[in-house]
Amino acid sequence: MSHAEVSMEHVHGAVTEERPFGVSSKKLVMWLFIIADAATFGAILFAYGYVRVGSPDWTKPFEFFPTILNGIVMTIVLLTSSLTMMGAVRAASAGRPTAIRWLGATILLGTAFVVLHLREWSLMIREGWSPSRNPLGGSPLFGATFFGITGLSLLHIVAGVIALAVVTLLYRRGRLDASYIETTGLYWHFVDLVWIFVFPLVYLLNAR
Amino acid sequence: MSSAGSSSSPGMRFYTVLWAGLLGIVIVEVLLTYGGLRPLPLLIALLALALIGAGVVLMYFMHLRYERRVLFWSLIPALVFALVMLDHIWPDAFRVTSMRLPVAASSTPAGGAQ
Repeated sequence: MSHAEVSMEHVHGAVTEERPFGVSSKKLVMWLFIIADAATFGAILFAYGYVRVGSPDWTKPFEFFPTILNGIVMTIVLLTSSLTMMGAVRAASAGRPTAIRWLGATILLGTAFVVLHLREWSLMIREGWSPSRNPLGGSPLFGATFFGITGLSLLHIVAGVIALAVVTLLYRRGRLDASYIETTGLYWHFVDLVWIFVFPLVYLLNAR
Repeated sequence: MSSAGSSSSPGMRFYTVLWAGLLGIVIVEVLLTYGGLRPLPLLIALLALALIGAGVVLMYFMHLRYERRVLFWSLIPALVFALVMLDHIWPDAFRVTSMRLPVAASSTPAGGAQ
């Protein structure tokens, strides 16, 4: 048997072999990334808990208006974007052209979340908050943990909006199939899942 | 591979109900925050509600419920184990608090004997 024949046999073997997890390679890789990223967010939330417990002069700066109310609106926007993402995944899997509209709605909601978040940050920075400064006189670690956790979350959402825009464009041109929308959707739902922890732990537990 | 559009996956109405449930969890969290609970019970309640919401997103929106069980058992216990191991930090966090000097003593200047 020649080297080429052996190679072909290996290629065919790989193609016909059953997938151990029953998902495509790209979906499995996305799941592995999500688990690793979840551990990262878990660690950063534990670090927040650590400095909070260890800081007797911890500040609880958030009034219901504007911060908590803004946080509620941001949460509703992000949860709704998960629903529109689900609509996109289902429509794309069924080959319906409405998938583009669902994706557009998801991108719009993600952008709205980013705008609300940046608006909140700019208000806080104007009040004198920074990762190393607390204008209320308490522990400066509040700013470090707040901007660190919400910044990492925001970075993920900005990356998600960009990824969604690219996937939508390529899907519209027929260069990507529905499975790419499903994989990007997994990521989008994950950033939503992260926010489900960030909102109560970082916002509500620091409400006055 | 299970697909989102497959017959095993429920329709949009089902996901809309879940979405409404997630919004309900947010409302309950806000009401509990302003309901006068002490910090520890509030933390436990908020964490429990967040875990329920995360479970809904993970199992239904991320379709983990409709994938092969081996995927769930390969991913989730490893993550839970890693997060449980992080709980080792708590005794040290409380130790840091008890190591602090009283405010009056710490505010005394270093050259206080002058």
